[in-house]
Amino acid sequence: MNILLCAKQVPDDAVEVSMGADGKPAIDKIDKVVNAFDTYALEMAARFKEAAGEGEITVLCVGPDDAKNGLKNCLAVGGDYAYLASDEAFEGSDMQGIASILKDAIRKIEADKGIAFDIVCTGKEATDMALGQGGILLADKLGTGVITNVIAFDTDENGVSAKQETEEGYRTVAADLPVVLTISKPDYDPRFPKIKAKLAARKKPIEAVAADALSDEGKAAAGEGNAKLKILRSYEPPKKESGVKIQEESDEDSALAAVKMMTEAKVL
Amino acid sequence: MNKQDTKGVLVYIETAGGAPVKVSEEILEPARQIAAKSGSDVTAVVIGENIGDAAAQIAEKGADTVIAIDSPDYKDYNLDAYADVLRQVIDDVKPEAVLIGATQDGKDIAPKLAAAFDSASASDVVGIDFDDDGNIIWTMPAYSGNILYDAVIEEARPQIGTIRSGTFKKLEEAPKGSVESRDIKAADDVIKAVIRDSVKEMAESVNLEEAEIIVSGGRGMGTKENFQQVVDLAQLLGGVVGATRPAIEDGWIPRNHQVGQSGKIVAPKLYIACGISGATQHLTGIVNSDYIVAINKDEDAPIFEVANIGIVGDVNKVLPVMFEEIKKIKEEA
Repeated sequence: MNILLCAKQVPDDAVEVSMGADGKPAIDKIDKVVNAFDTYALEMAARFKEAAGEGEITVLCVGPDDAKNGLKNCLAVGGDYAYLASDEAFEGSDMQGIASILKDAIRKIEADKGIAFDIVCTGKEATDMALGQGGILLADKLGTGVITNVIAFDTDENGVSAKQETEEGYRTVAADLPVVLTISKPDYDPRFPKIKAKLAARKKPIEAVAADALSDEGKAAAGEGNAKLKILRSYEPPKKESGVKIQEESDEDSALAAVKMMTEAKVL
Repeated sequence: MNKQDTKGVLVYIETAGGAPVKVSEEILEPARQIAAKSGSDVTAVVIGENIGDAAAQIAEKGADTVIAIDSPDYKDYNLDAYADVLRQVIDDVKPEAVLIGATQDGKDIAPKLAAAFDSASASDVVGIDFDDDGNIIWTMPAYSGNILYDAVIEEARPQIGTIRSGTFKKLEEAPKGSVESRDIKAADDVIKAVIRDSVKEMAESVNLEEAEIIVSGGRGMGTKENFQQVVDLAQLLGGVVGATRPAIEDGWIPRNHQVGQSGKIVAPKLYIACGISGATQHLTGIVNSDYIVAINKDEDAPIFEVANIGIVGDVNKVLPVMFEEIKKIKEEA
């Protein structure tokens, strides 16, 4: 089974982002990490591969040169091969652009290696922009089915069967292979890299994919100039004015004072 | 689609148990705004089986025309089928904009339509405005809600957006529209994934989005037993129980109670946060609440920055007194 993971490098989502003096979100000084949902996808793929006792996991990222660090981390926790699609021509792409780049990169990797990916997986959304569109747009371009918000999956001779998380439970969704899966948080955490795996990952090559891999359709979609959704400006949301703080002698008194205020405000 | 060929607004109405979900009614408000701007109409689309009542209801709530696609074929939701039906309606109506509630399924349908029309979709929209050319300016959150950004779709049509629940209010008054039944079949070759089974794990459905009062608990509650105080206060107030991700991960309450970026975005009249420090991912989900009361022992907790009343103290000592006092008031009333 050939599995491809699309991973994105994002600013550490544990850090609060504020606006920089240049009118853009100040993310340069924040550590970059692999998008949490992509790490869940990698862990799920790694467990699937281990259970099957065969298969290979290729990790593909569209991003700047420093995204190599994230790819190295992926290679240390289950990834077998890594590709970085990086080119000035890719910068400023919107989601349709990114999906086109991913599609062309996937087709190039498949052609170069003489394989076809059975499962393409990615996080259900990235923690930075949280659009949740990538998997669906990519499936459309690849012409495959897509199952979103997956928390478990398995394959058999009929294709893939996945557990899709819903607000009140789950759905069991079936599709033919190849398929695109977008992964939500399962009830386990991604593994930590072992030192040996980390060292081995450092030695593994990261293959490059550049703009010359793009099809005509990809060229027409990639880059800022082709973006259909144009960002005008970013800003911090207006802060809600904070109200009164109550800290009486005892917690009991504080509680009584609060209920009095709530009654006066007629919110009860 | 050519920009000059498009006119009007199309709204997809998601239903649950035969009734429109709350956000589907809310999006008729921005739909009317957009239609007023271009002097056009609002068309709503309802897909499902036995959705006549839902369609009639929407005709009273702000749609000029409701297209009802009522068929056993659509008894169960299927992303590929529903998106293809919508694609056919859009092809026919040629709207300048398509609005969809940002539910889990709505957020899947929107990019499918964006792909079908080689357009773009805005996700989790929290506000709209217009640029000088009449294009919609979509306001969206990024970085867990710490940053907002405005974006436009200048040329591609239709402009598509999924609107976050609680952003707009249902219209109080609306023109009366008409319902039109249509028989539209999804193309045979579009269905690539099929739902075999749908399971409700949670015993009760939790309606956080429509709740007027929410009492939420976080890790500061300490134990599952202590968390019961949150449940008790919610019951006393006739409210709904909310929770933070840590409280859910600790197994104190099922995950359909989660409030925040990865749970429900809520906008109650009263939100009581118990033992919640106020991580951005949680605050993002509650900032539209009318009145926030927070109880936390750490006086520097971020939750106090958004609270109307912040009680600095031990939540497990404050809550029992609050409960008794409110109970007394209720009994006197």
